[in-house]
Amino acid sequence: MRKWRTAVMVIGLMLLISSPVFAEEGAAGAADGSMSKGLIGLGAGLAIGLAAFGGGLGQGRAAGSSLEGIARNPGAADKMFVPYILGLAFIESLVLYAFVIAFLLRTKM
Amino acid sequence: MEHGFTWFSLLPFIADDPERQLIFTTIFIAAVLFIISAKVFNSIKKSPNPLIPPKKLSFQNFFELVIQATVNIMKDIIGHHAEKYLPLIGSLFVFILFCNLLGLIPGFLPPTSNLYTNGACAIIVFLYYNYQGFKEHGIKYLKHFAGPLIYLAPLMFVIEIISHLFRPFSLMVRLYGNISGDHAVLAIFSGLVPLVVPVIFLVLGLMVALIQAFVFATLSTVYIGLAVSHEH
Repeated sequence: MRKWRTAVMVIGLMLLISSPVFAEEGAAGAADGSMSKGLIGLGAGLAIGLAAFGGGLGQGRAAGSSLEGIARNPGAADKMFVPYILGLAFIESLVLYAFVIAFLLRTKM
Repeated sequence: MEHGFTWFSLLPFIADDPERQLIFTTIFIAAVLFIISAKVFNSIKKSPNPLIPPKKLSFQNFFELVIQATVNIMKDIIGHHAEKYLPLIGSLFVFILFCNLLGLIPGFLPPTSNLYTNGACAIIVFLYYNYQGFKEHGIKYLKHFAGPLIYLAPLMFVIEIISHLFRPFSLMVRLYGNISGDHAVLAIFSGLVPLVVPVIFLVLGLMVALIQAFVFATLSTVYIGLAVSHEH
């Protein structure tokens, strides 16, 4: 609970800080053409790629340990379902923030 | 995101404005749900013994299934008195589920692949759980924001407010990202290979539609549960 809260907060702060940076990027892109466009594309690709990497690792750990739990105690599968799905949703939402950022970057191109 | 042909683009007045099409789609879903639930309500009211399920598969079965499952999960999370919050959670679940499922039909854009539709749902959840918290605890509800130690309260208050404000935001973005991402994947693969291969992604889309509606409803339940819970 506390972990995802801090993670969401960090992302939020980054969002807050990054909006003026995006604005400057857009202004520069209007001025000198192709190079900054390429950099924006690179940034968008890196954002979603790194986020998918981290999210994949996290979800893999979650799925692995829940499968381990079910293998040890198959009766607990029903009770584990809701927390498991919720955990995956929280991990995934961090990836989706990166998706949104990549999408915003794409519109700046 | 650009979308190819949609059935609603055949209609006059909303043809060349994608946002108007989305609003119309949302109203369409709401109307369909309204008609179905009115029908189910009538059929339950008319039947001599409502406890006996109908002979054939009907919308009544569907609603009974959904409501039973929702109530069970809500009772697991909130505890007793969970039925009080069923109207909001149940309608959110069914509405979002139908919106997501509409995206699987070729020529329809799911309304939940738009930030504004999700934002409306998420803001309603945000206002509702705070309202329920105040209703349950009175002014003591603010203690939830103050943290465990009194001298840390000024710091915790800011952190908690930010974390609470991020809840509707993350609800909104999660639904939007999943559904629009899924729709984009489906569109790309049916553009690459029009036959057979998209079926895999339609099945994936069915799972995503169900799971995302479930996650939205469950998270709203968790937020309400946290707001109205009594600490022992």
